[in-house]
Amino acid sequence: MRLIGVDVGGTFTDLVYADTEAGRTCVHKISTTPDDPSRGVVQGLMALCEKYSIPRETIDTVFHGTTIATNAILEHDGAVTGMITTGGYRDILHIGRHQRPQHYSIMQDIPWQDRPLVKRRHRKTVKERLVPPRGEVLEPLDEEGVRRAVRELKDAGVQAIAICFLFSYLDASHEARALEIVREEYPECFATTSSSVSPQFREFERFTTTAMNAFVGPKVRNYVTRLESEIEASGFKADLRIMASNGGVATPAMVAERPVLTLLSGPAAGVIGGDWAGALSEKRNHITFDVGGTSADIGIVTEGGFGEATARDTWIAGFPVLVPMIDVHTIGAGGGSIAYVDQAGAFKVGPRSAGAVPGPAAYGRGGTRATVTDANVVLGRLDGGNFLGGGMSLDGVAARRVIGELARDLGLSDREAAEGVITLINANMANAIRSRTVQKGIDPRNYALVAFGGAGPLHGAEVADMLGVTEVIVPPHPGITSAVGLLISDLRYDAIRTSFQISGAADLDRINADFTAMATELAGRFTADGIDLAKVTFERRGDLRYVGQGYELRVPFPGGTLDEAALARAFEAFHEVHRREYGHHFADSAIEIVNLRLVGAASAATIAKPVPDGVRSLAAATVRSGSGTFRVDGKLADYPTTFYRRDLLPVGERIPGPAIVLQMDTTTVVPPHFSFEADSAGNLMIRKEAKQ
Amino acid sequence: MSTQPLRQPATKPDRIDPITTSVIQGALENIAVEMGYKLMRMSYSSIIRESEDFGAALVDAQGRGLAESAQSTPLQSGPIPGYVRGVQRILAARGETIRPGDVIMHNDAYSGASHGPDVAFIVPVFAQGRLIAFAATTAHHLDIGALSPGSCGIVEAIDAYAEGLQFKAIKVYDRGVRNDAVWQIVRDNIRASDLVVGDMDAQVAAARIGAERMVELIERYGLDTFEQACDALMDHAERLMRQAIARLPDGVYRAGTAIDGYLDSDDPTKKELPIVVTITKKEDSLVVDLTGTAPQVPDRPINMPLEGTADIAIWLTIRSVLLDTEVHGHIPVNAGLLRPITIVAPKGCLANPTFPAPTIARFCPGNQLADTVMKALSQAMPGNVSAGIGNLKVIAFSGLKDETHWVHMEIFEGSYGGRLGKDGMDAVDTLYANTRNNPIEDIETHLPLRVLRYELREDVAGAGKWRGGLGSVREFTFLSDGGASVEGEGHRYRPWGFLGGNEGMPAKLDLMVPGQADRALPSKVPHMNIAKDGRFVCYGPAGGGYGNPLERDPAKVADDVLDGVISVETALRDYGVVISAKGVVDSEATRRAREGR
Repeated sequence: MRLIGVDVGGTFTDLVYADTEAGRTCVHKISTTPDDPSRGVVQGLMALCEKYSIPRETIDTVFHGTTIATNAILEHDGAVTGMITTGGYRDILHIGRHQRPQHYSIMQDIPWQDRPLVKRRHRKTVKERLVPPRGEVLEPLDEEGVRRAVRELKDAGVQAIAICFLFSYLDASHEARALEIVREEYPECFATTSSSVSPQFREFERFTTTAMNAFVGPKVRNYVTRLESEIEASGFKADLRIMASNGGVATPAMVAERPVLTLLSGPAAGVIGGDWAGALSEKRNHITFDVGGTSADIGIVTEGGFGEATARDTWIAGFPVLVPMIDVHTIGAGGGSIAYVDQAGAFKVGPRSAGAVPGPAAYGRGGTRATVTDANVVLGRLDGGNFLGGGMSLDGVAARRVIGELARDLGLSDREAAEGVITLINANMANAIRSRTVQKGIDPRNYALVAFGGAGPLHGAEVADMLGVTEVIVPPHPGITSAVGLLISDLRYDAIRTSFQISGAADLDRINADFTAMATELAGRFTADGIDLAKVTFERRGDLRYVGQGYELRVPFPGGTLDEAALARAFEAFHEVHRREYGHHFADSAIEIVNLRLVGAASAATIAKPVPDGVRSLAAATVRSGSGTFRVDGKLADYPTTFYRRDLLPVGERIPGPAIVLQMDTTTVVPPHFSFEADSAGNLMIRKEAKQ
Repeated sequence: MSTQPLRQPATKPDRIDPITTSVIQGALENIAVEMGYKLMRMSYSSIIRESEDFGAALVDAQGRGLAESAQSTPLQSGPIPGYVRGVQRILAARGETIRPGDVIMHNDAYSGASHGPDVAFIVPVFAQGRLIAFAATTAHHLDIGALSPGSCGIVEAIDAYAEGLQFKAIKVYDRGVRNDAVWQIVRDNIRASDLVVGDMDAQVAAARIGAERMVELIERYGLDTFEQACDALMDHAERLMRQAIARLPDGVYRAGTAIDGYLDSDDPTKKELPIVVTITKKEDSLVVDLTGTAPQVPDRPINMPLEGTADIAIWLTIRSVLLDTEVHGHIPVNAGLLRPITIVAPKGCLANPTFPAPTIARFCPGNQLADTVMKALSQAMPGNVSAGIGNLKVIAFSGLKDETHWVHMEIFEGSYGGRLGKDGMDAVDTLYANTRNNPIEDIETHLPLRVLRYELREDVAGAGKWRGGLGSVREFTFLSDGGASVEGEGHRYRPWGFLGGNEGMPAKLDLMVPGQADRALPSKVPHMNIAKDGRFVCYGPAGGGYGNPLERDPAKVADDVLDGVISVETALRDYGVVISAKGVVDSEATRRAREGR
């Protein structure tokens, strides 16, 4: 298979080509074209093929990560959206959970009130009402009312319509009929229903997700359609696959219908790519640590399985979003994070960032605030002459000036202040990793930390040390790990049914029927995508809680027709997961099955292990000897530090720290009492030395 | 009687480097967040897990708050240091010692607790054989064994004994050994005891996790460094607050509002009760004096414990106005923030009652006190306040299914007044409360209740250049015979307008029972039986307007008309804006209409 992954970032579009049989990998980078990212994607594809003499028509699949939907939400720049909802509930989207985002603020804005996805004038109500437990009809659907509402919305210039009825997750027929009427009256309108987008309970969150789907719908549909045809017009015969937030890819047709699936896909590819890189070095448990200029994305992958965020923990731009999402924890900590002394004298780093412009003072673009990058320069960890492979020079004078100002405010030496910036940002990142490991009953010491992104390898080893993690892996191309992640993502679809079954009185027939229906639904999806069902693996899961609780935990469900014993195993698994997550379980309490889930995945191709090439030796790799400042056992000191070129490091030779390893897209810091080697998989493997 | 500053301001420089202080600050907050997260996710009753009416905090051995969970509601985490101090006073008086392995249960409203249903579980943290700190959780429990079902709407309790069980520093675990007798008493004396005891177990588990994490933290940095960092981070918070206070003009700022009390009572001392706040600002300190506030109501539970309710209402409002998160970013919450503020409340007034005056229904009066503090501050910081807020209401729904009680407490939202440059927030919890509603799809699935309407209340916003927030309308219908009680405020008085803005609209509550005449209810109703198909219609209050309505941008008035929030008639009457049937502003007619006023 010949594959290309294209990851569109804010500044650069990264491309990775992989020939899975030949084990050949090529990378290319071009500037993103923000007005129409598809232009950059197609130009990049053509440029990559030309550069490496790859015939365009031989490419089988193009994998693409896009932020079109994400940006539409973040910038609040979407379609004029209308909503048709159950009479009596016009303002569910506006009232939300009646909670303010901030406890201690009078002047705050509430996102869903301040920047509504659907204005009240475009929220139309119709008579209809279903009731639990089975979606019995309390009030039949007023079809004429729907027709009237569609016409009014059409006249009002609405471009997309969300159909959101209460309890539609129990029975989708009212929503489905309303959708038919929309299609009859206003066929060119983007229309979507809450039962198709996310058929699960909690009306505010489901309606918001559906409104979001409509809000970004026309934009994403146009983009995907245009991109597909441009790729084809450029002589490619490749299938297009688009990254979704669930850690898999989807077809353009699926994404055009449910663009909301791509909302949080950016960090997902990084987790997949980081796990892939770690697996090359025969590691199975990974903390993926993707640090850029403004944020750090943290993922946990255990034995190849990544966590899924719970429905109540997924947010974008302050709005809740109920879509399956890989569990990635993002915090505002990166190279551009600003260090400052607050008005009352406390030393803080982040979450505000200097961004790319003006960026750190060391970038020489007018930045005047001390940042993490400036601190790394002052400590001698970033080499002014070798930054981005010499592609950009760093202004050490400017870095020392801003760190010097910070140091004066703190009453510390420049060196102490700079190292303090690093210690604080590392502590923030270590706390974020603790919240995903220690606090969930996972011992990070059984994991390797995979550090990538432009700034991950600068901080990885010291963050690992704070957590007791002894192994740090830096992938071959840390800057394009996300693009690699795209290439190896499965085609992956999710189905869900809200169930509300209680242990001891569970309706097994209904549970089995739900799983069968979900299997049929997903099979239809894969078949429509031309996938051989024999190549699809299905996994069952359930969202369970003790009766009365409000938060569910996800547990695996056995396959086949479920009987009492199979169900009992799932309940046992729940007790165990509850104990691990919270440190406590309630053995005598009844358990409620809230949602049933089915995940189908058609496995992606595997990419052959990269082979380090070229003539390598320690002597050739050594750039120079210098000095680096590190804190060891609480004491700050300067250590003789050697700088190496990564591409010339001998394979399999362990080298003691402290060291700085330079390469095109990142710099790796190996502190004292750590050693490292370039391993046969192309990774840098950093290890903490055992205490003497 | 007054609350004293807990410690004199530090004049000495911090003994510890600022890096370590910030790292320890981050670690403490991380621990508090973990406790809150786990409590919320483990707990059973919707009042904790959905409404988030719980708290988690870390407190030092002197009873000074070190950090609180960001997710919990302010009225729960804020009082925790007071609970700890109350427990320490009681145990000292009884000659008991706190030992490793103890878990202490406490809910005494006259010893730091916010009110009886908010039960704390407190776990001591020891290092080097010495008591260093406490990890504690609080939560509002569904039922605490009062005279009628639920723990809200107990509006006719005549004294502290009628409010349910009183736990005064009770060791439910003594050196690690569970005190089974106490737990049995709890089980036997409260309704819905499986849920309540489950929630209490979750609280104990979360508090213990917090204590373990603190021990690890102290081991990592050493006790001396840890204690120095705690001092430094409290001093830092104190400086933040003093600097914020110093920016205000010196002066005396006085404001009054009033609560409904018992509007249907014949006794004039039980209704229409004034709340008066006088804030004296001098240099970098504030004195908040509640003199002028109505005397306590000796036999009705709307009295506010000074420590646990009134102080939290005052601190929260000062902090939200002076150090607004929107303006100042994240501010650490610890005892240092409180040092520059002294509270004075005459003994025996509504905000400093004497035992055994009942306090269980102090929730809404406390929020009115918070609003009154904001009204006083509005004179000093007019650009940082909202006009008058709409107060809240709780209805406790209950019934019997077989021989077991079901209890469901729903908090009905208020709204904010207009703000400089912004309309008020619509249909939200206000000031010291910040709970969440329950999804309709959850309520109807699990309870014999139906919610047949949940929308904004149209055409009653307090007009202003920036109008007040909109209230909501919510209906609850009983699907089987049951009962309910009501604990609310804001039926009698309109939220105050500010700088020429109009007053908002009070709340109201109607009850419709088949075969009976419809009734408009007062804001407090003791438990009453309600037959199947009985229906509450709850109209939330609308906040006051900010600034002269005639100065409101006509385009914003037109937007409100198009959105159905106000009528064309209101646009003309309140705003002097003439709007066509299609929602278009007639500029010329508007100019004429506005000139004429």
